[in-house]
Amino acid sequence: MGKNIVEMQQVSKAFPGVLALDKVDFNCLPGEVHAVVGENGAGKSTLMKILAGVYRPDSGDILLKGEKIFFSSPKHAQNCGISIIYQEFNLIPELTVAENIFLGREPTKCGRLIDSATLKRRSRELLADLNANIDIQSKVKDLGVAHQQMVEIAKALSLNADIIMMDEPSAVVSGRELASLFRIIRSLKESGKTIIYISHRIEEIFQIADRTTVLKDGHLVGTYDTGDLDKPQIVNLMVGRSLTETFPAREVGEKKEILTLDDVCRNNILNHVSFKVYSGEILGLAGLVGSGRTEIARAIFGACEIDSGRVRLNGSPLKRATPKSSIASGIGFVTESRAKDGLVQNMSVRKNLTLTILNRIQKWFFVREAKEKDICNDRVREYDIVTTGIEQEIQYLSGGNQQKVILAKWINIHPSMLILDEPTRGIDVGAKAEIYRLMRLLARQGTAIIMISSELPEIIGMSDRILVIHDGKVMGELSPCEATEERILMLATGQNTVQHQQKETALAL
Amino acid sequence: MRYSIFKQDRNTIIVYVVLVGLIVATSLLSDIFLTSRNIQNLLRQVVPLGLVSVGQTFTILTAGIDLSIGSVVSMASCLTTGMILGRESLILPVIAFVIVMALFIGFCNGFVITKTRVHPLIVTLGMMSVVQGALLLYTKSPIGSVPPVFDYLAWGKAWFIPFPIILFAVVATAGIFILRRTTFGRYVYATGGNEEVARLSGIKTARVKIMTYMICSFTAAMTGIFLASRMGMGDPLVGERYMLDSILPVLIGGTSLAGGRGGIGATIAGVFIFAILSNALNLLDVSAYWQWIIKGLIIITAVAFYTKK
Repeated sequence: MGKNIVEMQQVSKAFPGVLALDKVDFNCLPGEVHAVVGENGAGKSTLMKILAGVYRPDSGDILLKGEKIFFSSPKHAQNCGISIIYQEFNLIPELTVAENIFLGREPTKCGRLIDSATLKRRSRELLADLNANIDIQSKVKDLGVAHQQMVEIAKALSLNADIIMMDEPSAVVSGRELASLFRIIRSLKESGKTIIYISHRIEEIFQIADRTTVLKDGHLVGTYDTGDLDKPQIVNLMVGRSLTETFPAREVGEKKEILTLDDVCRNNILNHVSFKVYSGEILGLAGLVGSGRTEIARAIFGACEIDSGRVRLNGSPLKRATPKSSIASGIGFVTESRAKDGLVQNMSVRKNLTLTILNRIQKWFFVREAKEKDICNDRVREYDIVTTGIEQEIQYLSGGNQQKVILAKWINIHPSMLILDEPTRGIDVGAKAEIYRLMRLLARQGTAIIMISSELPEIIGMSDRILVIHDGKVMGELSPCEATEERILMLATGQNTVQHQQKETALAL
Repeated sequence: MRYSIFKQDRNTIIVYVVLVGLIVATSLLSDIFLTSRNIQNLLRQVVPLGLVSVGQTFTILTAGIDLSIGSVVSMASCLTTGMILGRESLILPVIAFVIVMALFIGFCNGFVITKTRVHPLIVTLGMMSVVQGALLLYTKSPIGSVPPVFDYLAWGKAWFIPFPIILFAVVATAGIFILRRTTFGRYVYATGGNEEVARLSGIKTARVKIMTYMICSFTAAMTGIFLASRMGMGDPLVGERYMLDSILPVLIGGTSLAGGRGGIGATIAGVFIFAILSNALNLLDVSAYWQWIIKGLIIITAVAFYTKK
């Protein structure tokens, strides 16, 4: 036991109303990549935040290099060599890369002046170690997400962290960027660092983790050598049941053209995008983050303007569409980020659910609240939304239930065309299956669905047709039977050579 | 359905508890406080403060703010008296004109804010300067006069209730109804809570915001007209204090500057707390400078309290 770099013994933590962690044991060896998995609400984040000094445990001990320690603050944990990289990065957009890396710990000279020469030199060294080609003088706001992640890692290294925790690092990068993240994790591991890797994506764990700890409902299920597990086993451990049929079966119905995009352009973001969507089908849009997938969705929905080209719904062109006019003509849009543009956090479940249909349930200027409550209670029942009631503020629901509320909010408008951008991001396996089921149900009722996703198994498992987007262009169309993760990635990276295919295959998802 | 008008969230209940506590404490400390003369006096002070605070609640709920409100009050008071000049027949047309002017200023505020995306603080501060400057070009000293019948607005009584109280009650109730019952009210909260979500849900957020600035200016115009009646003349600086005094009760009531949280019920409690506090400090003979210090500390404490939760 003495060789564990960090050990948590019988750690418990309660929040008002929930026991987030119940006597959990967790330990890490130096130089290992340790994955922590579990459904939402399993206690992964709480466990990590205790280790990072953000929360104090109600009971239990933390042993660092065999010695008992009590973290008084995140700063204290940092000084003890524990760093955490949150999903939402802690970087100041207006400062440069170098300034961010050494924020709060700037090298100084003559007492209080910042020694910019040393600052730059050391930042350059750190980024060179990571093989990251980033200009240390550029402002963080001008960097892509993947580069921002590199800056966070460099920051952790500059703290001489022995233990680096990464909270869902793959939620923001995909494909090639993920491959280079894995490369960095491996080289950090070789230099003796311990990486704690939190993820929802089970595939990644097999590529990167030496050991895996599974949590469920605040309890420890167990810590395993990753080599001893396979995917169904992990899913089984996480949910306590096996989900062999993750994707509901496809159905072929009568098809008529619902939406047509004709040569749609938007300066440098969308280049001559043309495609059709039919009723009752799920069209998967695959592509790397930043390829223009979300922009296509926003253009269809009228959330942003297009420079040229035409969008037609049921044959009639949508001119100067706005979200309001799109909703009126039956288009729904579930956005990528629940927190940013999906929910009004401090409104109740009820008020979120009816935001799209207030004009349909009003009389004179007034909201017909009795009718509104009926609709909401029905939706909560139909979609099994776990909440204390329709008046609960939505921010207190779990991610999966929030997502169901958003979906219900859009189903309320009876859409003939529904766009879903990353519909299962950051939600647990059970809620995912539920959302897939609802999507199929809608399709069966004749709704045309566009699904944008970075998760290739989801794209292949759910879509009736797959379009791959690269650089704002449609690179190709695949049917689900001819689609493989390799072929999609080839198109998504804009490359068609066989060598690349092999390289990507080894590393991608 | 009707009972839910009185259903309040926890913050609002706390504010009302504080208000009752303040009333009890003040009546124990001063035997003048509960005399009918003092209460009438207090209520007369509450009315202009209450009117502007109701308006300000709308803008703050959409995460905005209206700093031009004070200059619109002054403008309304001067235009009313300056144009009526004692002629009874002109009362209604002038009031209508003043309200249209105010609505126009509110529209300009909202239009510029939503078109340029400049922070409301800047736009309305600029508007304050423009309106105040224009007003001072019009008159530099108290101006105009009103006919006796116009006095009714500030000094009249319906049965035994002072008319201003009725006016305020009507405006406040209308405000509560708009925010709680109408779709527009819901749009205000949604726009303040998360503007992008509101927009993507098909809400014309720009229109909603413009409307809130027009409502805010409208209440400012009513305040100015009321003050014109109370003083019998227009004063180009009478509204100055309402720039801040309209915001403070809203904050004491617990409405968040970040938008989307709070309401008029809470603001009314804030108005009374603010007014009773001034009244009590006057009755207790506390000097004006100490009053400033005490009020300042109370605001910071109140907002810190809400922020912590």
